Amino acid sequence: MSTAESIPKPASVDPGPYSEKGGVFWYGDSGLNVRDAARAMNAVGARFITITTYELPASGGFRLEYHWDLMGRLLGFTFPLAANTVESIYDLCEAADWIEREIHEEYRIDFTGREYEPLLLREGGVCGVNLQKEVAQ
Amino acid sequence: MSYEIPMGPYHPGLEEPYKLNMICEGETVKDAKLHIGFNFRGIEHLAETRNYIQVIALMERVCGICSFIHTLTLCQAMEKLTGLTPPPRAQYIRVIMGELERLHSHVLWAGIAAKLMGFKTMFMTCFEIREKVMDVLQAISGNRVNYAMNRIGGVNRDIQDPLSILAMVEALENEMTRTIIPIFTTSKTATSRCAGIGVLTTERARSLGVVGPVARASGIGQDLRKEAPYAAYAEMDFSVPVVPDGDVRARLLVRALEIMESCKILRQALAKLPPGEIAPPGDSSKFSFVTGTATARVEAPRGEVMYSVSWKEGARMPSRVHVRTPTYVNMPAVRFMVQGARLADTPLIQAAVDPCYSCTDR
Repeated sequence: MSTAESIPKPASVDPGPYSEKGGVFWYGDSGLNVRDAARAMNAVGARFITITTYELPASGGFRLEYHWDLMGRLLGFTFPLAANTVESIYDLCEAADWIEREIHEEYRIDFTGREYEPLLLREGGVCGVNLQKEVAQ
Repeated sequence: MSYEIPMGPYHPGLEEPYKLNMICEGETVKDAKLHIGFNFRGIEHLAETRNYIQVIALMERVCGICSFIHTLTLCQAMEKLTGLTPPPRAQYIRVIMGELERLHSHVLWAGIAAKLMGFKTMFMTCFEIREKVMDVLQAISGNRVNYAMNRIGGVNRDIQDPLSILAMVEALENEMTRTIIPIFTTSKTATSRCAGIGVLTTERARSLGVVGPVARASGIGQDLRKEAPYAAYAEMDFSVPVVPDGDVRARLLVRALEIMESCKILRQALAKLPPGEIAPPGDSSKFSFVTGTATARVEAPRGEVMYSVSWKEGARMPSRVHVRTPTYVNMPAVRFMVQGARLADTPLIQAAVDPCYSCTDR
């Protein structure tokens, strides 16, 4: 059995096949949305690690990569964002709180379904000014 | 009646700037809110403006305590994109440096914790021992803080005389066994200030995804050196200390036991250091990257560090570097640790996480 095949799959949501690349077991085109992916990871007892944001060139929006750890193996889901919004997983995964707030402040991405409190920014700070290229220019 | 007490961003109880706003009723903390970002440096953005040599020096400065770990994680990610594998001797040197850094970080933390307990003698003893660890690090790397040891595909400096380093490590281990460990594990001063305070339950620790000694002190036995071994850790025999209590004393015990395990790893790595090269042959200033993203994780003294590095073929600079540091996931737990605690205990409770705001505000 390969390492990828030995990763337990949740009974309720099938995340589809894995492919290993760059040190991560990536879920392929599973068709899951971000909340279903979080539910699938919760179901197998995976630990949330972080969300990495990529700003695509020529205002092509963003790509978010969600990382989870399961028994020492790094699992990844990729979600392209056409607009600057994505559903929050904070209610499903408490550990996502700070990184969602940070991405909101750094890239002006809105995680819907949650409330924000300032994390990095002080009063008068502008969302997106730190890292989002469009705003920085 | 409840009232709000701010601790920080600049406060004698905090080593670095952050703010803990505590809602209190009498002397009891009911809730707390954390604010970070006072040291935000935009290092992830700066990384996109540095070439593959410069970016290593830049990321070494994310943290002054675990600077080696940051370059190790970055180099491991870049090695995946260049297809380079470090030679066995370099992998062993990486283990030795990583464990020395863990020793120095844990002893530094022990000193700070002792100071916050009002145990000044212990504080000075810890810092004296820490100096000796720093001397070993300096003997190997030539530097006391930013060691410049890692490079893509290996390390920059060899350990010429492992037996002399081994003698220094054994002397250190003796001192720690004689002073730090018994005092922290049996002293009434330490126990009375630490036992039963700042509790983080196993369930809450899992929910928050905490890492490193904070997780292991709440009964979660995760350690990347065992679960996903890197460098030469697969060849080392060591244990992962786990204590289920979740209080400040448990965090203290876990770190004390980890000091002993680090000494055990160091003795093995120095005794078995294989001969050979420390970096791949060829021009050390030219590397070819493939297009893609690579991710690496390393068990830093405070817990898991993760780097995601993206590159475009032919480019000299990364298109994205994302850093997830351990304090970033451990610090939200402080809100739950201080709930119900006495106000006077909160500096020690937050310090028990061993927070690093240099890392968090990268």
